[in-house]
Amino acid sequence: MSEMSSGLGVPTIPAPPEEPHLPPRQWIRENLFSSLFNTVLTIVSSLVILAIVRGLLAFIFNPQRQWEATATNLRLLMTQAYPEEQYLRVWVCVAVILTLTAMSMAVWRAGSAVPLPGVGRRLLSGGVLLALMALLAPFGTRSTFIWLVIGIVVAAGGEALRRFADEERSLSTLALLAMALGGLVATLWVVPYGSHTFNLQRTPRVLAEPGTVAMSTKLPWTLMLVVAVAAYFVGTLVRDRLPTNPLRATLLVTWLLMPPILLYLVLRDPSFDMGHVFTTDIPIFAAYAVLGGALLSWLTRPSTGEAGRIVAALVLVAGFAMFATPMRMIVRLDMLLLAGFALSAPTFSGGPRARRRYTAGWLGVLGMMSWLITAINTPSTVDVPGGFFIGGISLTLMVAIFTIVISFPLGLALALARTSNMPIFRLLATWFIEFVRGVPLITILIFFSIMVPLFLPPGMHLGEVAAVVIGYSLFSSAYLAENVRGGLQSVTRGQHEAAEAVGMTTSQKTVFIVLPQALRVAIPPLVGHCIGVFKETSLLAIIGLFDVLYIARYVMSNQTEFMGSTKENILFVSLIYWIFAYQMSKASQRLEQRTGLGER
Amino acid sequence: MTDATAAEPTDNQAMEQSRDLSGARDMIACEGVSKWYGDFQALDGITATIKEQEVVVVLGPSGSGKSTWIRCINRLEVHQEGRIVVDDVELTNDLRNIEQVRSEVGMVFQLFNLFPHLKVIDNVSLAPIWVRKKPRAEAEEQAMALLERVGIPEQAHKYPGQLSGGQQQRVAIARALAMEPRIMLFDEPTSALDPEMIKEVLDVMKVLAQSGMTMMVVTHEMGFAKEVADRIIFMEEGQIVEQGTPQHFFENPTEDRTKLFLSQIL
Repeated sequence: MSEMSSGLGVPTIPAPPEEPHLPPRQWIRENLFSSLFNTVLTIVSSLVILAIVRGLLAFIFNPQRQWEATATNLRLLMTQAYPEEQYLRVWVCVAVILTLTAMSMAVWRAGSAVPLPGVGRRLLSGGVLLALMALLAPFGTRSTFIWLVIGIVVAAGGEALRRFADEERSLSTLALLAMALGGLVATLWVVPYGSHTFNLQRTPRVLAEPGTVAMSTKLPWTLMLVVAVAAYFVGTLVRDRLPTNPLRATLLVTWLLMPPILLYLVLRDPSFDMGHVFTTDIPIFAAYAVLGGALLSWLTRPSTGEAGRIVAALVLVAGFAMFATPMRMIVRLDMLLLAGFALSAPTFSGGPRARRRYTAGWLGVLGMMSWLITAINTPSTVDVPGGFFIGGISLTLMVAIFTIVISFPLGLALALARTSNMPIFRLLATWFIEFVRGVPLITILIFFSIMVPLFLPPGMHLGEVAAVVIGYSLFSSAYLAENVRGGLQSVTRGQHEAAEAVGMTTSQKTVFIVLPQALRVAIPPLVGHCIGVFKETSLLAIIGLFDVLYIARYVMSNQTEFMGSTKENILFVSLIYWIFAYQMSKASQRLEQRTGLGER
Repeated sequence: MTDATAAEPTDNQAMEQSRDLSGARDMIACEGVSKWYGDFQALDGITATIKEQEVVVVLGPSGSGKSTWIRCINRLEVHQEGRIVVDDVELTNDLRNIEQVRSEVGMVFQLFNLFPHLKVIDNVSLAPIWVRKKPRAEAEEQAMALLERVGIPEQAHKYPGQLSGGQQQRVAIARALAMEPRIMLFDEPTSALDPEMIKEVLDVMKVLAQSGMTMMVVTHEMGFAKEVADRIIFMEEGQIVEQGTPQHFFENPTEDRTKLFLSQIL
């Protein structure tokens, strides 16, 4: 509780007295066998659960299962055919993401403290579960015995902790997590999982050797863990020395910038044509930076008033007019971006500081967009035969992240347009949403991957994945808009009136009063939507992209060595999906708790 | 419009019960204001003026159009006939006029309508920062001063949901005052409060009235009306039935409908 409140700077509220934990026997009697009906229910459902678990374990530990298929193809599942000699790039990306995650955890004070007896309780139940599993699994006597002993030892340790540990002493959940991951990584060096490599020479062949896993696996992952832990401690140092809000803002912006930078700078490594960059790209950027900056600096002056709105509208008209005349795409896109900034300038107008910040925001977004457009249109140095340069879980995550990040502002805009009192916006947004929602996602993906390149002006290239991400973002934004609209409707009329009564303009009211409240209400459906977007990336397989499910279903089970390993592969891939989806769902719960603090 | 400099009552005069405001200029002028909700006529030709520094209490049975009228004055409701002129600006569909009037007129609602996602101090300082374009430090200093004035500076860093109803309504008053309005509208400010909290809100309003603020108050608090009002307007079925000083109104009302109303509530 105190963790949470200090995070938001709210005075600490005294926590209510904790409910005493019942001893296990009493808990079982009160909750599972309190009445005849309850007893019957408990027995029946236990039998059902036992049967299911037993079936699952029998499947997993059946000696016929080809789990080597997964072990051998881990790299294929992670990145598909990313070239071996440039694999360092992938590890750099993983390291950057882990660093950011760990630093954010430190800065946002993630995790909580569990009293030692609580840890003991969890160990006890974990150990009992393990022992039970050992009995259920179709092991040989020796394995059963070993796992049974491990389970009992863990349970006994837990019970000892529960009984004798001091209630006052506690352990941070993050330390527990680090210990668990550390243990997992340590086993890579000790336990003989076997070294499985897939030889991609002319005749593909599996090289399976006894011993620990290959150095190319265990060394990077060990380093990754070290990097993450180190980043966490750096994060705590920075957190205690720098002001909180600017630090958080910096981290958030870094998170937003990271996907394009990692993808287009690190993974794809564009070979920039410097001559072209200096003669064309930089001058265009400089012109927009200087002229746009001056314009925005004038527009955000509170005294500008009506003339500013007219100028901003003219910029928008100019932006659309540019599409009628032949010129570079980037010039047109920059103009549209400038129009967007100009139109929202009056909302953020204010003193010199507010104006400087707004202009700096323009320079940042413009620079990012210019660089990104140039990078996308530059050929890559990463040489992958055929198709996209990356696949597997990386492609799945990439498409999901880009789609969510792009469709979020789009969905917000659609929701606002649909609820606005300007009939044209309302009509366009309603038509768009209703149209997109009436079309299956597969249709949209196929349309964008095949048809869109045909409609593009000559000389402009859009990668297949980029086309798909655009299509998927449009699809996702329609659904997202409806979720946000639900949130918008939950904001009471009184809130609108209060904002109007203190003289706010419609856009100020929307930005400062309505959206924050609407989004808070919409967190559960929005996160549900994000999980859906993540999982439905598996449809990418239909248009021939190598996403993780496609690899598991068709690529791996068609390898001559692993014919018929589909079931194992799919079980493994579903585990991967579940881990990511479950983390999103947990994050949503934490977000709800945090933002719910100020609610009445 | 009368000359603005004609009458500038001193604080002393403002403290007195029955003040002579006949020379003061008009802050709010309504001429034949009518409004319909579908077929139902909520306001029926309201004509009234409110002088600078005057405290007007609007009484009447529920459904008589009091709230509708007060909400027309800062255009939360749109009137369909007649004219409303607030501080020499006529309310029309022109957005600039509406924004100007709203930044001059503070409003306090029955259900407080505080912004639940913002701390108390941000509730108060948000509009000065973004509408008046004040530097943040200055706006927050002013917000603290106002919270001091309404007696709850220690709650500045809590969220509205952590406050009692009376405290919330005082924050709402501070929020309205932060825009430095020339007129304050109160739409049944104590109707949603528990009895023991009504007094703390009324006390703040009394001090505000004594400081010379032009106020228009819709309320059912007869004590407040007797003590603080310069004039009482009694409405029924969207019309002004009777108006006058508290003394006239409570002691010898002329209209039968007023007498009936008073007999029901006193």
